[in-house]
Amino acid sequence: MRGITVRRRQALTGLAFAAPFLVGFSVFIAYPVAASGFYSFTDFNLFQPPEFVGLDNYARMADDERFWIALTNTLLLTVTGVPLSIIIAIAGAHLLNLPVRGQPLFRALVYLPSIVPIVVGGYLWRWLLNTEYGFINYFLGLVGIDGPGWLVEPEWTKPAIVLMSLWTVGGTMIIYLAALKEVPRELYEAAALDGANWWTKFRHITWPTLSPVTLFQVIVNVIAYLQIFTQPYLLAQTRLNDAGAGPGQSMLTYAMYLFQNAFSFLKMGYASAMAWVLFLITLAITIVILVSSRRWVHDGSR
Amino acid sequence: MIRTSRGRRRLGVVVGALAGSALALAGCSAPVASGPEQITFSYLWGGAEAEAIEAIIADFNASQDEVEVTGISSPDFQKQLTSLSASQGSFDISDHFGNAVGSWASKGILAPLDELLAANGVDPAGFAPASIEQLSYDGQIYSLPIAVHTFQLLYNKTLLAEAGVEVPTTIEELETAIAALTKVEADGTITQLGLGDPSPSTTITTLGYAFGGDWDADGAPSPTDAGNVQALQWYYDNLVAPVGADQLAAFKSGLGEYMSPEDPFYTGKYAMVIDGEWRAVNIPSTAPDLDWGVTSIPYVSTALADTTQLTVSTLFIPANSAHKEAAAKFLAYLVSDEGATAFSLALGNLPAKLSLVGSPAYDDIPEFSVWLDALAGDNVHALSSAPYSAEYSTDLGLAFDEVLTGASTPEAALQKVADNSSNYATE
Repeated sequence: MRGITVRRRQALTGLAFAAPFLVGFSVFIAYPVAASGFYSFTDFNLFQPPEFVGLDNYARMADDERFWIALTNTLLLTVTGVPLSIIIAIAGAHLLNLPVRGQPLFRALVYLPSIVPIVVGGYLWRWLLNTEYGFINYFLGLVGIDGPGWLVEPEWTKPAIVLMSLWTVGGTMIIYLAALKEVPRELYEAAALDGANWWTKFRHITWPTLSPVTLFQVIVNVIAYLQIFTQPYLLAQTRLNDAGAGPGQSMLTYAMYLFQNAFSFLKMGYASAMAWVLFLITLAITIVILVSSRRWVHDGSR
Repeated sequence: MIRTSRGRRRLGVVVGALAGSALALAGCSAPVASGPEQITFSYLWGGAEAEAIEAIIADFNASQDEVEVTGISSPDFQKQLTSLSASQGSFDISDHFGNAVGSWASKGILAPLDELLAANGVDPAGFAPASIEQLSYDGQIYSLPIAVHTFQLLYNKTLLAEAGVEVPTTIEELETAIAALTKVEADGTITQLGLGDPSPSTTITTLGYAFGGDWDADGAPSPTDAGNVQALQWYYDNLVAPVGADQLAAFKSGLGEYMSPEDPFYTGKYAMVIDGEWRAVNIPSTAPDLDWGVTSIPYVSTALADTTQLTVSTLFIPANSAHKEAAAKFLAYLVSDEGATAFSLALGNLPAKLSLVGSPAYDDIPEFSVWLDALAGDNVHALSSAPYSAEYSTDLGLAFDEVLTGASTPEAALQKVADNSSNYATE
C-alpha cells in the first residue's frame, strides 16, 4: 500500500511539475488546433454560432481562383527563396569563418537585421525598393542597370519579397558558421595531402558534414516560406489594417488570403479549412524532404 | 509525516490567504453607487488626432457629472474585433467605417441606436441622408457618422495655366484637359499625368456614380450596371490607353508617398486628382507653395451635376457594452453641433451634420466649402453597407487593377465580380 502511495505521490509530483506545460499546451495549442478542425466543417463568422456545412469549405477551394493564385505565389516564393537562403547562408558562413581582423564585428553586422523588428524592416524596404527614391535602384543605376518597378510590376514583386526575406539570412548563416567550426581540421589536411582542390574539399568534406544542419534549415525555411505573411503584407499594403494583394495579385500569399478570409471577410470556417490544407501541404513536403534526406544527408553525421 | 503535515498546514495557509485576497479584491470591485458612470472610448486614431480627441473628451467630462469617459487610442482592427467577440467588451463606444456596419449589424455585435438616440434628443434627419442610409441595416440605425468625406476635382493652377487649360466642368472638358496636361517623352516615358489616382477604387466608384451608375442597385451588388461599365471604360480610354499600361505602372512606381512633400500632386507629377477634403488641411502644411484649386467633379449630363461619393467614419456602441445609456449620452455630445465641429476640425474632415454646412467654423480652411457644400446636394451617393461589403470592395479593387494593367476589359472584369458575388457572405 505504502509503495503504491509513494508511486502515486511521485506521479502527482511529476504531473505538478509538468502542469505549466500541460496547461499551456492544452489551452494554447491543443484546443485551438482541435477548434480550428471543427470550425473548418462549419460556416462560422466569429460572432454567431457555427453552422455545420460538412466538406463545403474544402470543396469550395477547388473553384476559388484566388486560393490557387495564393497557393501558386506561395510555392513560387518557396522554391526560389529556400535554395537562395541556403546557398547564401553557406557562402556567407565560409566568409565569416576566414581568419581576418575584425571578424567578430562582421559576424555581428550580418546578424543585426535579424533583431530589427520585421515591421520596421518592412517599411524600410518599401522605401529602399521605391523606383525613384530607393537606394536599390540608385545603386543599380551606378552600375548602369535601369532598376525595375519592384513593387508595381507583377513580375518583380516576388523578387522584392525574397530580397527582403534574405535580409535576415544572418541567423541561418551563424548556425552554419557553428557547424563549419565542427568540421574536423585533420580531414582538410589529409585531403590537402592527397592534392584535393577547394571544390573537392567542399564536395567531399564540408557538404557532408553540414548536411544534417542543411536538412534542418531546409525544413525550417520551407515551413517559414509556406507561411510567409509579414513581408508581402507590408510591401503590398496600401492602407493601414488592409491586406492588399499587390499588382495583379502577385503578392497574395496563402497566409495573406487566409488572414483576409478570417479577419476581413469574417469567414472563419473557410479560413480554418485553408489552415488545415496548408498543414497537410507542409506535412507532405516535409515528409518528401525527410525521405529524400536518406540520399543526401551524411550518415556519419547523424 | 511531521514534514508532510507541516507542509499541508503551510499549503492551507497559502490557500486561505489567496482565497481571502480574492474575496477582498472581489469586494473592492463591487459596484459603488456614488460618482459618475465610467465608460471607455476606444478609438482608432493616434498621434495629433488622438490628442485632439482627448481634449474633446476632457470638455465632455467637465461639462457634466453623470458620465466620465476614459479615452484609449487603439489603432488595431483585430483588437477591436476581439473585444466585440467577447461576452463583455473592453470598451463602450468606438469608431470604425461605414462600409462595415451592415456586416457587423447582421452579426448582432452593434447595439441598435434608434431608441438611444431618441432618448438623447438626436435626430437622424439632421445628418447627410446618404450617411444615415449607409449606417442603417434592416430598418435600424447601428452607427452615427462622426465625420464624412466627399470627393472633388483638385487641380494645379500653375500647370493648367501653362497648358492653357480652363478648369473643366463637363466630362468632355475633363478629357481635353487630361490630354493637354499629360506629358510623355519620345521614348514613351511619362513625366506628367493629367489626372492622377491616389486611390483608383475610390476614383472609379465615384466616376461610376458620375456616369449615372449604381454599385448596389436593389440592395445587391450590381458591378455591371451600365454607368459603372461606362465609367471604367472612360477611365481606361482616357488615362491608361493613351500612355500604355506598362508606362503608367513604371511612372507610378517612382512616385512619392501619399500626402508627403513628395506626393505627386504636390510635386506637379499629377496635374489633377479626385480626392477628399483632408487635402485642404494637408496642403497648407505639407505643400504651402502649391497654387491649387478645387471644383466639382465634371458632369456627364446636367442631371448628374455635382455628383460625389460619400464615405463615412462612424461611432458605434457595441452590443456587449454594459453602459449603453451612458455611452449614448457621450455619443449625443460628440454628434452635437459643438462636438461635431470640434471633432471635424481636429481630424480635418467634414462634419456629417447638415446644420454645419456653411458654418463659419471652417472658413479658415482654404476651399473647404467645395467639399462641405456638396453634402447638401442631390447627387451624393454612398456604397451600400451590407454583410458582403468587404468582399465586394476587394473584388472591385482587383477588377479595377486588372483593367488598369491591361489584363482585362471593363466588361469582363466587372462580369467576373458579378459572377463571384454568389459566394459572398449573406449575414
